[in-house]
Amino acid sequence: MSDIGHLAWGGEINIYRAADLKLEVLQALRAAPVLEIDLAGVTELDTAGLQVLMLAKRTATIEQRELRLRNHSPAVVDVVEMLNLGAFFGDAVLIHS
Amino acid sequence: MNLATIQHGAEPLSTQYLTFLLGEERFAVGILHVKEIIEYAGTATVPMMPDCVRGVINLRGAVVPVIDLSARFGRGVAAIGKRTSIIIAEIDDGEGKQVLGMMVDAVNEVVEIEPADIEAAPPFGARIRADFIAGIAKCQGRFVILLALERVLSTGEVVELSRHAVPLATASSRAGP
Amino acid sequence: MNLDQALQTFITESRELLADMEHALLNIDLSQDLGDQGEAINAIFRAAHTIKGSAGLFSLDHMVAFTHVVESLLDAVRDGRAVIDDDMVALLLACCDHLSSMTDGLAAGQYEADPDTAPEGERLLQQLRRRMGAGDDPAQSLAEQSLTVRPEPDVERMGQEASNGDSDYWHISLRFGAGVLQNGMDPIAFLRYLARLGRIAGMATVADALPTADEMDAELCYLGFEIAFESTADRAAILGVFEFVQDDCEIRLVAPRGKVSEYVELIRALPENPARLGEMLVQCGSVTAAELAAALAQQSQQSLHPEVQGEAGAHQTQEAPQRLGSILVAAGQVAPVVVEAALTRQKQVVEQKAQENRSIRVDSDKLDRLIDLVGELIIAGARTSVIGQRLHNAELLEATSTVSNLVEQVRDAALELRMVKIGATFNRFQRVVHDVARELGKDIGLAVDGEDAELDKTVVEKIGDPLMHLVRNAMDHGIEPAAVRVAAGKPARGMITLNAFHESGSIVIEVSDDGGGLRKEKILAKAIERGLVDPERKLTDAEIHNLIFEAGFSTAETITNLSGRGVGMDVVKRNITALRGSVDVRSVEGQGATVTVRLPLTLAIIDGFLVQVGSSVFVIPLDTIEECIEFAAEPGQDYSNLRGQVLPFIRLRALFHIAGAPTRRESIVVLRFGKVRAGLVVDTLLGEFQTVIKPLSPIFSEVRCISGSTILGSGDVALILDVGALLQAVDGRGAAAPALPALAV
Repeated sequence: MSDIGHLAWGGEINIYRAADLKLEVLQALRAAPVLEIDLAGVTELDTAGLQVLMLAKRTATIEQRELRLRNHSPAVVDVVEMLNLGAFFGDAVLIHS
Repeated sequence: MNLATIQHGAEPLSTQYLTFLLGEERFAVGILHVKEIIEYAGTATVPMMPDCVRGVINLRGAVVPVIDLSARFGRGVAAIGKRTSIIIAEIDDGEGKQVLGMMVDAVNEVVEIEPADIEAAPPFGARIRADFIAGIAKCQGRFVILLALERVLSTGEVVELSRHAVPLATASSRAGP
Repeated sequence: MNLDQALQTFITESRELLADMEHALLNIDLSQDLGDQGEAINAIFRAAHTIKGSAGLFSLDHMVAFTHVVESLLDAVRDGRAVIDDDMVALLLACCDHLSSMTDGLAAGQYEADPDTAPEGERLLQQLRRRMGAGDDPAQSLAEQSLTVRPEPDVERMGQEASNGDSDYWHISLRFGAGVLQNGMDPIAFLRYLARLGRIAGMATVADALPTADEMDAELCYLGFEIAFESTADRAAILGVFEFVQDDCEIRLVAPRGKVSEYVELIRALPENPARLGEMLVQCGSVTAAELAAALAQQSQQSLHPEVQGEAGAHQTQEAPQRLGSILVAAGQVAPVVVEAALTRQKQVVEQKAQENRSIRVDSDKLDRLIDLVGELIIAGARTSVIGQRLHNAELLEATSTVSNLVEQVRDAALELRMVKIGATFNRFQRVVHDVARELGKDIGLAVDGEDAELDKTVVEKIGDPLMHLVRNAMDHGIEPAAVRVAAGKPARGMITLNAFHESGSIVIEVSDDGGGLRKEKILAKAIERGLVDPERKLTDAEIHNLIFEAGFSTAETITNLSGRGVGMDVVKRNITALRGSVDVRSVEGQGATVTVRLPLTLAIIDGFLVQVGSSVFVIPLDTIEECIEFAAEPGQDYSNLRGQVLPFIRLRALFHIAGAPTRRESIVVLRFGKVRAGLVVDTLLGEFQTVIKPLSPIFSEVRCISGSTILGSGDVALILDVGALLQAVDGRGAAAPALPALAV
């Protein structure tokens, strides 16, 4: 078991994949103390997708694990900014070029 | 049971006393302490209490202890006579209000006694404990002993006595095992 | 109706909440991880949070300020930014105590910080802050929070804009339905569309409804939004944005400088619990955090505002919070109706919580009055029965029999009301054991059994203190230090066990410990030294053990400040005896000790059996009677042969020195109390009789064998025998009568 788990999500993170993504992220979360999700490839993030990320973040906190979102794509940044969720996800790197 | 209740009127009653007989002697207690007077109709004996506690009676649903004043004054257990009565009195003995009955040989009238007519208890010569006497007054030509009811009916003292309990029956009439 | 009543309610509810908090704190399993502890921590947080909110309504700033810091720490724990451990539990318990004393101060009329306890409060606050200061997770740093208003962690908001422009914005409140996603709608898309009509000046994502991972369905929507929206668009246009989701979303709109009633509606409609006045006003944008802070600061200098008109029928707390509300109104910031609406919500939350318990508060005086009346009813019923029997009228007898049955049922129901479970008393000891164990430096646990055993409420009230002494004694002198225990092959953790159960008409409470037990030799030596026992006498183990209840007895080497302060076992015994109970101790050296307290079940009404000796009638509690037999004695002895077993007996006539000769054919009533069985010799058996116990005048407090009196149907007084005291004369002695010491004349 490695110390840091890695996931890379790409394409549309939306309601059609939300159920699967939820299972995937929870499993990955519990496999290691730290999980990093690379979001560089995300082209779309809808409410369902956002919820999965929020759930993952909250679950990580409750279970005393760490979830890091990395390389937010413009689509992700857009949503996080508009919904004012920067503090919620607590990621240091948010500014996009 | 014949009940006669003293009516408490609007006038100050601090000079009114109820007089009663114990043997040949006349005693009195302040009217404010008296709740009612009833005929003596027997008491339920409570075992292992000193002789001065005659027993208890049912006073309209309340169980009230009855003190044998004769015994309390050290003159032995009272004999029941035709006019034996129980004066129901209420005192405040420092632990709250207590209602107790006093067994007397006869109840006389209510009299007026002015404070000026009350003298202090003599230091000796009276045939009862000095601290039981609140004062002595002359009433209709005869001496009346005013009782310090809180001391006479003192619960604390009776309890203390019952710790070294005196049996109700005398030794000779005790039923053997 | 007035401030006092509202305040009383607050005090009562705060005490309950603090009790909940304490209970949750004591029951937290520190070995679990945060996930499993979640429910307990939430419970603790909720309690603190609710107290803070309610205290705010009454402008009890000292309580609000204190609770706020406690709440912050708990919040940090919830988020995983701080870890709850033994020390923190102790700290939080101390905070509970501090809040308790503030509540007590309130009850005594003190509405501000008490200068005596304030230093303690400060000290606790410092410790709380210290626990929060160390951020465990550097990646998650929190912005500084203002003291008076702190947003929920799930509701992120932009930095406080202290601008006065709020009222120029629309306020849009959105709560999307669960099925909106499955219906093909995307809330985020709608927000984007909205943004085309103006500028989103403030946004709060409300994720309160998001459940835990296991419960969350990825295809349902759990989000809501509170939006401050700057736009020249009109209402219809804004609503038009959400046209396609209007069935799947609760939309509430408040126009810039909107009408008061709209704000009222908004507050009422918001589903989040609990309603906190200040935070709701901020949340709906009526007031900014800065404005609220300023108002709260102002109010400590202002006197209580006279009553503000509110809705008729509103809860009595309405007048109390006018302080805050009136300040805001005076500052031109919020209309009184808005305040009232928030209050109504608060009250609803509280009421809802109360209803969940499905119980009702009853004035104990009213209960006592009811019991008295039932008692009178029983006596009156008995009287009627006696008359019926005398008249030999069958119809009347049947009628009185029916009445008696009903009266009996009423009696039972009334008595039920007075019965309370002993569990609440037992659970108080969790805290005691926890604190005292820490103080002693010992590891001691408390196990509780029989919490459902019920007893009369007056007995429960009076048994608390004696039990406390017993528990503390067991902890102080019974349980050995961990090292000693381990060396003796015992687990390092000592156990105190409280147990309660019913037995032959009494309630039995056992306090056991698995400590070192009583040391027989030591006790005996001490007793001889104190002149309590004749050195020549041979005592059984049980008798030696029970010497610890003698006055002036204490064998502890060091008198600790817990048990050895002169509050010894003799005081415990006296208190229990005053309740007409008995106490006894059994012990095995090295293994532990058990103190057994026996108390009468009910003090009000008795099922009795009448017996007569001479002209005196006595009542024997029915559940102490095993059977009645004809008198027969082994020749020259004071015991009888009952089916091959020895039955010692007491002659009541002799015991009570009743004059006269016994009847020709006496009877023996076979009594059992606890483990003792003996017979009582009486003249006549008169039969069963249920009646009310009339307490005896204090003048009879030293009479051991009589526990009360009652009035028979005939109007005569009968005395109720204290079977326990009677049988104590038999136990341990073998011979029967007269068991009481020879009486001096």
